[in-house]
Amino acid sequence: MNDQNISRRDFIKLTAVGLAVAAGTRAITKADASEDAKGERQWAMVIDQSNCTGCGYCTLACQARNDVNPDIEWNKVTSTGMLDGRMTYLPRPCMHCEHAPCVEVCPVGASYYRDDGIVMMDYDKCIGCRYCQIACPYEARSFNWEAFEGENPAVPEWGAPEVERRPRGVPEKCSFCYQRIDRGLALGLAPGVDDEATPSCCVVCPTGARVLGDLNDPNSNVSQLLKKYPSYRLRENLGTGCRVYYLPAGVVPVRKVETES
Amino acid sequence: MKSILKTIRENIFTAWGLWLALLGMILFSALVGGLLVFWKGLVITNLTDLVPWGLWITLDLSAIALSAGAFSLCVGVYLFGLKRYAPIARTATFVGLIGYTMAMLALVLDIGRPDRFWKALVYWNTHSLMWEVTMCVILYLTVLVLETMPILASLEWLRKKYPRITEKMEKVHHYAPVLAIIGLGLSSLHQSSLGAMYGVIKARPIWYKPEMAVVFMFSAIVGGIALTLLASMFSARLTPKAKVNDILIERVAQFLGYMMIGYLYFRFWDWLAQTYTYEPGRTEAFEILTRGTLSFNFWFGEMILGALLPTVILLYRPLRSAPFWRMLAMVMIVGGVVAMRFDTNLVGLLTVISYLPGQTTVTYASYTPSLVEWVTGIGIIAYGLLAFSLGVKYLRVVDHRLTSETHQTVRVTADETVRA
Repeated sequence: MNDQNISRRDFIKLTAVGLAVAAGTRAITKADASEDAKGERQWAMVIDQSNCTGCGYCTLACQARNDVNPDIEWNKVTSTGMLDGRMTYLPRPCMHCEHAPCVEVCPVGASYYRDDGIVMMDYDKCIGCRYCQIACPYEARSFNWEAFEGENPAVPEWGAPEVERRPRGVPEKCSFCYQRIDRGLALGLAPGVDDEATPSCCVVCPTGARVLGDLNDPNSNVSQLLKKYPSYRLRENLGTGCRVYYLPAGVVPVRKVETES
Repeated sequence: MKSILKTIRENIFTAWGLWLALLGMILFSALVGGLLVFWKGLVITNLTDLVPWGLWITLDLSAIALSAGAFSLCVGVYLFGLKRYAPIARTATFVGLIGYTMAMLALVLDIGRPDRFWKALVYWNTHSLMWEVTMCVILYLTVLVLETMPILASLEWLRKKYPRITEKMEKVHHYAPVLAIIGLGLSSLHQSSLGAMYGVIKARPIWYKPEMAVVFMFSAIVGGIALTLLASMFSARLTPKAKVNDILIERVAQFLGYMMIGYLYFRFWDWLAQTYTYEPGRTEAFEILTRGTLSFNFWFGEMILGALLPTVILLYRPLRSAPFWRMLAMVMIVGGVVAMRFDTNLVGLLTVISYLPGQTTVTYASYTPSLVEWVTGIGIIAYGLLAFSLGVKYLRVVDHRLTSETHQTVRVTADETVRA
């Protein structure tokens, strides 16, 4: 009988200690911002497939500005078949989902939402478990199987690196060039309008087939395009709520490309 | 030094010596392989961005699943009061501890940044199944260490040198029922959340289903009990140090047979539910299992040898009572659980569903483990075998003559020491 009392008391004690430890740890790592907190601006990208020529400049500019390993493409361009005698393409950056599977599954919260909707990676927190890669429906993440050392072949022709290289052992992905957006806003520029504040893929695109803008602003370029043309998002049935919209090939008039002189 | 060499020379040609030498060689090559992985990075594996989880994850999942004997048997003994099975629970606890440490080893190899392992404890994303898995691994490993304390206390050398410490360690046996409850909670959360980890991935329809958690849990219980019984019976054949009570084992084996019927029932409905959904990607993945690259594993590894035959053996008395057939059935069940984990992980990864619009066909990835994955993986298994062999030899982990009364006596003395 005595025996039983000891166990019960100790069981309660153990439980209390366990709860205290859990609460303590939670307090230390209290999440800085609620996921539901939405910022004033909500960045989104519109990719116009009618005008995309598949030149791949976006990929190269991205690799230079973000110092990406030449084996990795944050922005992958795939050809998607002929339409009216023209080849169509689908460039695929990170979709920056509203309900991002990668953010939900990351055990340490290394993938997280920014207030402006950008899905970010904290490369210092990541333990390299690759669960996010498995959860991403868009193959947007690439793992650093080995360290990227040596020169970046895309530099300097396509621009100078603006962010730190990722170490070996973490997955990486497109960040909507958050560094350009943040710096641009600090300088009083408008992302999506001023080149300095706009993702490098949009700036470099020779046909202007990619634009970034604020979904919350009805007058922004993306809001206007989405109002004017039909659009779709990738694997919409999954309910991820992508922030990258595509205007299907054939809906936007094809612009004449000004060749460089 | 000389005396050590002499001991080695004298003992190397005994069966025990050769066994240790073999395990030592495997462990050494695995150590080299492991260092190579840390030095060169995961680039030397055959893992890719399409198949980022491979052999090591299978090993990790299987080691955890086969450790489930610990909680299932402890619950039987300490909560349902089936006291006479206590010696088997003792073996199961030790097997569980080994399995969990094996899984930890596999994880350290598998994650890209093993140096940041601690971050999983400090930074929490409570939405993540992987977070739950991490917490359960750590907490349940702690429970297992506590549960094994009385076993470790039976080490002769430790008893002689630090009698006070071993006394304390034995006292932990008092809390066995409490530990069994905590263990039941943590372990069942853990086993099922490993399945749910796959079950919540919407991007891969073959995984995306609620029963993943149940199937993982169920198969873990049968696999864990099977491994415990197998290890007990096998070591009793090899060494006089291990003593088994065949009546106890046969009873548990019969219970296992009924559990297997439950498992087969689940898998049957799992099949049918998948067959008739015709969801893009799910049908294709299911075909990889039934007639594609994984079909041999699936039909023979998982179904016929892994579930159907052992169920028949365990439920048919003449076969069950023959130790050979009973052990064979256990081997099959253990193999079946491993095959199930391997297939489940791989089938979802091999079926790549395109994000391109209007693309109805899926593409297939491929994966064959690299040499370094095999060497380190086999090394981790060798570590498990070594730990169990040492346990049998020095800690009497398989000794069915030990009854709860033995612990009872110990406990009373421990109490008296405290009072004095």
